[in-house]
Amino acid sequence: MSALLKANAPPLVKLRDLHVTFRTRDRTVHAVNGVDLDLAAGEVLCILGESGSGKSVTLRALMKLLPKFAHISGGIEVGGRDVNAMSNSQLADFRGGEVAMIFQEPMTALDPVFTVGRQIAETVQRHEGVSRATADARALELLELVQIPSARRRLAAYPHELSGGLRQRAMIAVALACRPKLLLADEPTTALDATVQIQVLLLLRELQERLGMGVIFVTHDLGVAGEIADRVAVMYAGRVVEEGPVAGIMAGPLHPYAQGLLGATVHPGMRGKRLTTIPGAPPTLDVAPTTCAFSPRCDHAEAACVAGVPPLLQASPGRFARCIRVRNGTQS
Amino acid sequence: MDALDPTPDRGGPAQPLLAVKGLVKHFPLKGGLLGRTQAVVRAVDDVGFDVLKGETLGIVGESGCGKSTTARLLMRLLEPNAGTMIFDGEPVGENVQAGGLTLREYRRQVQMVFQDSYASLNPRLPIEETIAFAPRIHGLSGHESVVRARELLAAVGLAPESFARRYPHELSGGQRQRINIARALALRPKLVILDEPVSALDKSVEAQVLNLLVDLKAEFGLTYVFISHDLNVVQYISDRVLVMYLGEVAEMGPVGAIYDRPAHPYTRALLDSRPSMDPANRRTKPPLTGDPPNPVNPPSGCRFRTRCSHAEDVCAARKPLMADLGGGHIVSCHMATPDSGHSRAGSLAA
Repeated sequence: MSALLKANAPPLVKLRDLHVTFRTRDRTVHAVNGVDLDLAAGEVLCILGESGSGKSVTLRALMKLLPKFAHISGGIEVGGRDVNAMSNSQLADFRGGEVAMIFQEPMTALDPVFTVGRQIAETVQRHEGVSRATADARALELLELVQIPSARRRLAAYPHELSGGLRQRAMIAVALACRPKLLLADEPTTALDATVQIQVLLLLRELQERLGMGVIFVTHDLGVAGEIADRVAVMYAGRVVEEGPVAGIMAGPLHPYAQGLLGATVHPGMRGKRLTTIPGAPPTLDVAPTTCAFSPRCDHAEAACVAGVPPLLQASPGRFARCIRVRNGTQS
Repeated sequence: MDALDPTPDRGGPAQPLLAVKGLVKHFPLKGGLLGRTQAVVRAVDDVGFDVLKGETLGIVGESGCGKSTTARLLMRLLEPNAGTMIFDGEPVGENVQAGGLTLREYRRQVQMVFQDSYASLNPRLPIEETIAFAPRIHGLSGHESVVRARELLAAVGLAPESFARRYPHELSGGQRQRINIARALALRPKLVILDEPVSALDKSVEAQVLNLLVDLKAEFGLTYVFISHDLNVVQYISDRVLVMYLGEVAEMGPVGAIYDRPAHPYTRALLDSRPSMDPANRRTKPPLTGDPPNPVNPPSGCRFRTRCSHAEDVCAARKPLMADLGGGHIVSCHMATPDSGHSRAGSLAA
């Protein structure tokens, strides 16, 4: 799918050399250190990484949802518009209109003092200027779209009256209220039980296909990426270290960090075997890494790894890794 | 150091280390003007199992199934409404004159590790003092208990010279979980109850802690009860697995039987809910719809029947008996009992 779309249409999302630095009185954290990412219309990209890899910060930067003390530089384009240059009122139209976001914890994303139906209708009224009655009708349609049983009755429910899975669906309904072209998802299934997680994943996949949205889905769970992604970008210490179609990355990652992550993820058939671990810990990011950030933990590190930040090298069409050992289709 | 040597084995290898029978814990929900009991949460309802010496018993289930309440009951952090616990042949907390174990003796041999590594450490104590605290309470001198704390720090892979005087906030989540494990081992327990010990950790750290748990089990001759919602982790670490649903045992058996030949429809649905790990072969249909029901008013008969595709009248009318499928594999489902009245009765029998 991605190859087909990449050929002609301009990308829906274009991130160029994105840097995000958090500066407080006590310390500075270089959370994102030069991220380039493209997303085609209708494509699903998973950003995979562990805590502190910069995956959520990258996602929030796309909607300018970062605190005031965050310094953002680089190009952020969504649908051909420069997000950095938007005024506050333009941003207000943009968020929830063209781009919507869903979160891990629906209880904090939904307003506890309004009914679910009102919150959806409010979004529709705000962005489309339609009447209350039209908006209420849309709210019902949306609850049915996200497959909430007895949707008409649930319109009048407050968030606390819903179960975790239904709340997550209600939040998705709010996000989809104005048919966004881009949906940003920040670990939306992480807090759910296994039997509910798969329901929500399959729902998101179905809605994405039906509505033709582009989706950027942040997760730490390789299995979730395998269920939903077209393409995967693995982040480490604020940079993309590997990028490519999901099947290739899950079958054989190229970057040593991605290899370590796959080896450390417990899956069936590993019983009795010792788990592969990645020694050490990620860097603190008090300064932006000027070498391969993974080199202190890497078995293959050599002098060239600390000579500078390795470029993202192409291993095969559409497949990139930020490792000096990757050369043109092979790994030396 | 004889004050706190490991306690000797009593009943021999065939005696279960812990035998739990008929464990019940109900939480009253109070409300209204007079604070009367409005409803009862049946968190754990007649749960029984054995923990064999030297094994790892995994307990899986979704939120509200009672797995964490079970952990707290095993540790006697909660007082059960009914049920008995026999630790290596001795009843726990009752009949102390007639040979029962006092809670103090029991807790020396049974320790617990919690999910939240930060909340379970005292933020104002350097970590070596956190670990040394329990041995000192149980009679070791200050010096001896600190020596033991430093040995344990080394055993969990944290160099005592650089870590002993640090405070919990100076450590990462994985390091803090190692401290919690060291503290749990400080009294040389026989049984360690691990309640979601790796659920809050990143994958690469999770693997380190799982490897450590496997090593420590061999080194100290431990028995584990490992509670988790992560089916892959439970499969990796457990010898036997107990599947809980709404406060009851749905199925229990050796890890191979549970994962290769799951008998209970709920166990099958749980296993089928795991991501496929193969983008070419994605899941197409969720195995279950809806969320787990509220344990306040559990369904009559079989508690899973409201989400079960095989549910029939008999499932609402009667609670299923525990059926023995052989090899220690038991399941609570009408389809496994030959004369239960279910149209597929006996179809699961061994």
